[in-house]
Amino acid sequence: MGLLSNILFFPVTGPVAGIRWALGKVQTVVEEELTDDSSVKQELMELQMLLELGDIDDAEYVRREAALMQRLRDVREWRERLGKGVSGGPVRVARDEDEGAAE
Amino acid sequence: MADLQTSPADIVGAGVAPDGGKYVYCIIRSDRQREFGAIGIGGGQRVYTVAFHDLAAVVSDTPIVIYDPTRENVLAHEFVNETVMKEHTVIPMSFGTVFRSEDDVTELLRSTYQAFSDVLSKMQDKIEFGLKVLWDREKVIANIERENDEIRRLKDEISRDTASSTYFARMQLGRLIDSALEEIGQRYVNDIHDPIKPVAVASRSNKPIGDRMILNAAFLVDRAQEQAFDERVKETSRKYEELLTFKYSGPWPPYNFVNIKLKLEKAD
Repeated sequence: MGLLSNILFFPVTGPVAGIRWALGKVQTVVEEELTDDSSVKQELMELQMLLELGDIDDAEYVRREAALMQRLRDVREWRERLGKGVSGGPVRVARDEDEGAAE
Repeated sequence: MADLQTSPADIVGAGVAPDGGKYVYCIIRSDRQREFGAIGIGGGQRVYTVAFHDLAAVVSDTPIVIYDPTRENVLAHEFVNETVMKEHTVIPMSFGTVFRSEDDVTELLRSTYQAFSDVLSKMQDKIEFGLKVLWDREKVIANIERENDEIRRLKDEISRDTASSTYFARMQLGRLIDSALEEIGQRYVNDIHDPIKPVAVASRSNKPIGDRMILNAAFLVDRAQEQAFDERVKETSRKYEELLTFKYSGPWPPYNFVNIKLKLEKAD
């Protein structure tokens, strides 16, 4: 329940400059740019909802999930090829410039 | 960088180091080494902590891979957070966050120490609950037709007269039903949200998922208020059990109420 929407869209993540937190107020949902990636994620959440509501069975879920995963991989591959940021995969804390120069 | 390859385990790997990587689930406050059992992502990896002063990252060993958000992987990620949450206040990490080494994890804690500490203090003894409300559109429309005189009149007119002039009547009927639906949906959302809000510390409305959902909300609740919150939600859902489906879930880590942007970069 709510699982996918939570962990795909909201929690602590990078890479974005700066550190900030906000709390105690209803936060404005900042819509991410609607990349292909997020439309797949949206479909994934809808798929999960269908399963929870009993509209589809497990086998159907698994089948459709596999197709969505393939699309995610395709998007990822394209983004890599185009030199765009990819979520997932190994990360590290961004070094300050002087430290980074030693790399 | 190694070639991308697809392995049968739903992961795409750039197979360089077999297990030097650390998958990070969440950040907690702990001044001693903790073990949470063999429940980690990728087939029951050992889950343990990497500490820096009084902060600790809850991690398991992993190859350097990109994890697909399959249900299996997502549930493994969530199960660890659920387990840790039983004893700790947690700051959840995004699904699929992999660091190349333990040193990189320590560096994360060191460089973000103050922000993590502040948020952990704010989130002390707070948990999140999710509430999704769905409606059965047909049932609601049937209700509208019963209660709205103008809509009923139009319907009668259309059913009596099958000539082409009813085209406009149909259009008008559609418009009336749409606006009535919107109004009723908003009223439901307010009627559900208003009584629940006072027992929560904070609340947030997310975009509904799919076309049957009218409310997709998250509530931050003080552990001391958990029972009161629970009762309030159940009371409200009983009021609408005929018309609406309530999907109530939790406790979750405070996913919707922690917003730390980490300055991370890709480790090649």
